[in-house]
Amino acid sequence: MKRIIIADDSATARMFIKRCLQIIGLGDAEIIYAENGKEALAAAKEQCPDILLTDLNMPVMDGETLLKWVKASPKLCELPVIIITSAGNPAKEAQLLELGARQVINKPVSPPIMMNALKDFLED
Amino acid sequence: MIEHKPLFEAMKQAVSQTLENMAFVETMEHYDQNYELPAEDLVWTSMLIMDPVQGELHLAMSKALLVKLTTAIFALDIDEVTESHLHDSLDELLNTIGGLFMTNLLADNQTYQLGLPEFGEGELPPPEPNSVIWKLMTSDEDPLQVIATGAPLVALKD
Repeated sequence: MKRIIIADDSATARMFIKRCLQIIGLGDAEIIYAENGKEALAAAKEQCPDILLTDLNMPVMDGETLLKWVKASPKLCELPVIIITSAGNPAKEAQLLELGARQVINKPVSPPIMMNALKDFLED
Repeated sequence: MIEHKPLFEAMKQAVSQTLENMAFVETMEHYDQNYELPAEDLVWTSMLIMDPVQGELHLAMSKALLVKLTTAIFALDIDEVTESHLHDSLDELLNTIGGLFMTNLLADNQTYQLGLPEFGEGELPPPEPNSVIWKLMTSDEDPLQVIATGAPLVALKD
């Protein structure tokens, strides 16, 4: 069973992402919710997830800082991180990919977009 | 006939894409551009645009419309919807609309930064000079408004 962290300060966004995951065939995945980057980082260290889906714009610790922490950690640096953001455009996407993000998805997210972003992950 | 500026189209498209994708609701320009949302039963959320221009966006609608949208977004019955669902869904709608609006408006090589949405009820803060107001409605003719304030943001229409 896959273990997935969803980090977003919005319950609406977390629910929406979960619904997309269910539609694309990840309904039996174990979902761990985090409301900010700090919670997501702690969960990632404790729970060894298979993938981390995170928003960018969050209080306490934003998604970009979370990405930097994950990629700088010897324990977590191989963890695939997908950014799901309302503040993404080609320039931001290039910046985040440079920092080590696997994919950058713009909100509003939909099942086909999620399917495309998680293609490699679903094939594993 | 309304003259459409890129700024106007950028927001109209952002609202339409967001509501259709998240709540399965179509939106269009309101047929009566003189209508005003009544202050009673009004809910709204505001979000700062921090970079590369400074401004603020407000999304306002009746609580009844927000309940309708929230039940669609969360796939809940009306009696299951809580105040927390309502606040969160309105905030997330504006967050998504704001991001699409800036993406529609700015060049591909220009990054931007948004603030966090803040929920409000009752009368909207008094409009600043040079505000731009989008008077829209859903396909069920429920009105909603988006307001952009801040001279640097509004100046993008030029």
